[in-house]
Amino acid sequence: MYIQINPDLEMPIYEQLSMQIMIGVIRKDLQDGDVLPSVRSLAADLGVNMHTVNKSYHELEKKGLIHIIPKSGAVIRTANRKLSEEEKNRTSDSLKPTIVEALVLGMNEEDILSIAKSIIQNLKEE
Amino acid sequence: MEALIFIMMMLLTVMLEAAIPFLIRKTVVFGVSIPSTQIKHPQISVYKKRYSLLIVVPALLLLLAYCIWQATNSPQANQVAIVGTFLLFGTLFWSFSLYFYFHGKMLELKGENKWEEQLKVVSVTELGIRQKDEMLPWYVFLIPMIITVGFLLFTATQYDVLPTEIPVHWGADGKADRFTTKTPISSVSLLLVLLTMQFMFLGINIATKRSGIKIIANNKQASKRRQLKYRKYSSWLNLLISITITVLFILLQLTTLYNNIFSDYMIVIIPLLLTVVLLICTIVFTFKVERLNRELDGKEQETQEISAFDADNHWKGGLFYFNKNDPSIFVEKRFGIGWTINFANPIGYLLLFIPLLLILLLSFI
Repeated sequence: MYIQINPDLEMPIYEQLSMQIMIGVIRKDLQDGDVLPSVRSLAADLGVNMHTVNKSYHELEKKGLIHIIPKSGAVIRTANRKLSEEEKNRTSDSLKPTIVEALVLGMNEEDILSIAKSIIQNLKEE
Repeated sequence: MEALIFIMMMLLTVMLEAAIPFLIRKTVVFGVSIPSTQIKHPQISVYKKRYSLLIVVPALLLLLAYCIWQATNSPQANQVAIVGTFLLFGTLFWSFSLYFYFHGKMLELKGENKWEEQLKVVSVTELGIRQKDEMLPWYVFLIPMIITVGFLLFTATQYDVLPTEIPVHWGADGKADRFTTKTPISSVSLLLVLLTMQFMFLGINIATKRSGIKIIANNKQASKRRQLKYRKYSSWLNLLISITITVLFILLQLTTLYNNIFSDYMIVIIPLLLTVVLLICTIVFTFKVERLNRELDGKEQETQEISAFDADNHWKGGLFYFNKNDPSIFVEKRFGIGWTINFANPIGYLLLFIPLLLILLLSFI
């Protein structure tokens, strides 16, 4: 699976990287137990700062998606995950401002749900 | 004999210099990256042809003059060598100046046609590409080093029987023509120089392996294949050079230990043979790379994306890669064949200059 970073986007590079790895998990390109490249080699291959890759890996670790084992690398962890109440709350919190804005712009519930559906559809497709 | 060597070297250098614009990737012309839709722009082929002609024609005229001068004046060997060296460096300097002239011309062309706006810089890689990297592992480079260490120990045991005069320089006939007095260091200085060079080759292999596997954004599949093969061939060439140098140095060390171990004939023929082997390996490498470059043709996707390492702002004068963010130590050259260092990464400097300093140091004690 390819990873493509666009430095001109508003989204910081480390977030773009985390996003692409997460999409890889959704599409099953990355599966439980897969090892991500070392920080140094991924940074060299992309030509980005090592701190950037490091930051992205730590963010993913905080989300509980990867497990960083010192010296041997970052391993994808998706099996036997249980969605916690806290994670649901966090998703709800981060969706809220977007939904408020959509409603205020005049969208109705159906519009918002269909947008969400099409995004999910897109993500799952190659 | 000397004249023939210089003429051969000149011809080879000139041919290679003139061929370079046609051997390298088409999307980087004289160190300026251009959109893949523009590689057939007529002005570009005019510049390339002009560059090659401006190298070949003056060089051939000079070579002719060089030959006539030798035929009519029958100069001494050292005069032939001095003039030959001047010619060689003159050609290099001339092609360098031409490069910068056409680099400027290409920048103009790019500006006039607003090609910069057609390029969108991105960074691309493939997860799992590292597992496909077929570069030689670092420990292979230890094999010639072990041989050197073995000879170091062996020389130490033979110290008492060594002649009091240690050769430090050999003429074209393979005979030692300069000597120094025997000391524990001078008896093995040759092996120490060898060991330093072997260390350098080991370091270069490790550094290349750690450097980025660069994928071209609008030609992912083909450029990935190319880059992996390029890395593989480079590390094999690296090992071959290391082994050839080892054979040569061990041979010289043996003649120091035992004066008459090789016949006069062998002592001339072996170094010559090794040089030929190296030359053939380098030429084969060049042609393999040229073929890899041709495999890229026509596989470009219709996007305007270019990879960050190809963006002009990371290349000073189109020749020197300078990217503080990139932890790579080496990157592929843009103009020419081979690798260049990332000038923003101090490890690259250390890797190339420390061995040189050590060798200089060894030759002064």
